[in-house]
Amino acid sequence: MEGARSGIVITVFSTASAVGKTLISINMAAELAHEGHHVCLADLDLQFGDVSNYLKLSPTRTVADAQKAVQRDADAFDPMPFLTQYSYKGVNFSVLAGPLELAEAYNMSPLTIAHIVKQLQYKFDYLVLDTTSTFSELNLSLLDLGTIITFLGIVDFIPTIKNMKSGCDTIRSMGYDSNKIRLVLNRSNSKTRIDLEDVEQLLGEPFYHVLPNDFVAAQQSIQMGVPLVLSSQSASLAKELRHLVGRYTNQEVEQTETQHGVSSWFRKIFN
Amino acid sequence: MDYRVILIENNRLMLERLSSVIKGAAGFELAARYQQPGDALGQGGVFKPNLILLDIDDRANLQFIPAFTQSFPAAALLCISSHWNANDSSHVVRAGAKGYLIKPFTAEELGEAVDTFGKSGMAVSSDVMAFFSPKGKSGKTTLIANLALSLARKSGESVAIIDADLQFGDMAVFFNLAPQSTIVEAVRDVKFLSPITLNAYFQTVSDNLRVLCGTKKPDYAELVDIKPFNDMVRMAQSLFRYILIDLPAGFNPISVAASELANTTYLVAMVSGGFELQHMQRALDVFRAWPDCEQRVKTIFTRVEPCNADMQEKLGLVLGYPVAAVIPNEYLLVSAAANNGRMAMDNDPNNPLAINIARLADAIIGQRRGKVG
Ligand SMILES: Nc1ncnc2c1ncn2[C@@H]1O[C@H](COP(=O)(O)OP(=O)(O)OP(=O)(O)O)[C@@H](O)[C@H]1O
Ligand SMILES: [Mg+2]
Repeated sequence: MEGARSGIVITVFSTASAVGKTLISINMAAELAHEGHHVCLADLDLQFGDVSNYLKLSPTRTVADAQKAVQRDADAFDPMPFLTQYSYKGVNFSVLAGPLELAEAYNMSPLTIAHIVKQLQYKFDYLVLDTTSTFSELNLSLLDLGTIITFLGIVDFIPTIKNMKSGCDTIRSMGYDSNKIRLVLNRSNSKTRIDLEDVEQLLGEPFYHVLPNDFVAAQQSIQMGVPLVLSSQSASLAKELRHLVGRYTNQEVEQTETQHGVSSWFRKIFN
Repeated sequence: MDYRVILIENNRLMLERLSSVIKGAAGFELAARYQQPGDALGQGGVFKPNLILLDIDDRANLQFIPAFTQSFPAAALLCISSHWNANDSSHVVRAGAKGYLIKPFTAEELGEAVDTFGKSGMAVSSDVMAFFSPKGKSGKTTLIANLALSLARKSGESVAIIDADLQFGDMAVFFNLAPQSTIVEAVRDVKFLSPITLNAYFQTVSDNLRVLCGTKKPDYAELVDIKPFNDMVRMAQSLFRYILIDLPAGFNPISVAASELANTTYLVAMVSGGFELQHMQRALDVFRAWPDCEQRVKTIFTRVEPCNADMQEKLGLVLGYPVAAVIPNEYLLVSAAANNGRMAMDNDPNNPLAINIARLADAIIGQRRGKVG
């Protein structure tokens, strides 16, 4: 693969649970696909991942099967047969599903997963990685592999904020370029007594992007198995999600938009 | 209840000195004293002691510990030594001693040592409860904190929380504690500790509730090794009647170790319109490999609406496993309490959350009494 172009990896991470990593991962993947990119979403919440749940997929092959293939012959490994397709009204993206069995999940090797992710990078324009909220060996390598880390937080009560702060400090201590890390606040305006500016001050940095709280829309999309950006495009949460993705793809700047379109089309042909 | 003490001390002068301390200590009675352990083993039984103090400066005495615990099953054994020895302390605890006391001791120190092991006698077998959740945000920290308070109040016995949610434990925040020592130090030092000294690593919340707080930074988590963690919990068992262990989400070395060690593992999940039930089933499938799963593993759902017996049964049917407790949604109450470092139990003992948790505490205490008495 020397000389081959590698795709952009967006690692979606948080240090608190249930802050919306999975919801935002699937919407990022969907929106990027909607814009014409070749996208793969990997469920790396290995034990209790929700990607297949939220998209109503019934994968037959998973990351666990991919691991077996890598272990048989790493050099000949091709990730494509292990993906599951998601499509909705002409928008398509690939999903690397999490293990079906917990025992498989427990026996996944972070090194092998890193190998799989790297191989996927050569096949796709964008790779979105959904994770768990802990600094596990696997997640540390997924943070390394990320072109961009979407560090997701919510402001609900003190313990969550404490964990967001210590997570932020830990990521900063890992020596990444500061523009690799994007602090995104989710579920803004949800019931809370805490002032946003206080939180930004505590974190030492403003939020890169803020996503509104819309529990009903989020819940509906999960029940339907369709990402919000595809199903209810007018909802303000969907708009903000698209806006966020736009900032990642330079879509917001008109000139580069066409350029990017060309390059991704170009890349697809030559892959 | 008075402690009837048998003292074994080889050094004649020390024997005199300690004897007079014991005689002068309120609540203690010197039943008999010997210079040789063999004499104590052979003759001490007639005095029906319930506390044995065995000198281990004489190294040869170490080997008698199992014989003492066998011959005096109703008595607790404390080893006494003129200096602190790390290896000895863990050795004696493992051999069956309940603790370790530095001599010469004062009457207060003797009383403290005995108190540390429980007021109603030191031969404590405690209930260890591990709280496992498939995914995070299950409401289990709130549950544990309030349940521990309730257990402490209702039973009057000693209760401890161990925050083993290694990277992102919240217990210190919940109780507004600024710990001097945490699980990291306790596990690191365990091989140098005896139950009495381990006790100092726990922070005091109330008279009979103590908390061993989680790490101060996520990267300290890797300092906590499983084997010494297990040793630490076992040592804590001689300090507390009830031990509640908070854990990180999912199956990982610490959550697996704690569940295996615990008498009861509670699987906790929050009902929030997602796939919590499926995740719970998936987790249960793993625990079902235990032959005594039904006795040892219980499930609890939090944020249940409406929170009543019907719903509890319904959840159990869907799950295919009995649901031990349901906890209602009291988001604002809980967050307001956590933000202030106070417990929902304290803010309003009559709110539905407090009532449901109190009910669970009653069941736990009742079950224990049933087993013991
Ligand atoms: N912006 C939002 N507004 C309202 N609800 C939201 C929003 N984002 C996420 N949610 C809801 O929050 C819940 C948790 O979301 P999600 O499962 O994506 O979180 P997660 O970070 O992946 O959780 P986990 O750490 O457990 O994997 C879901 O019920 C989802 O619908
Ligand atoms: Mg998730």
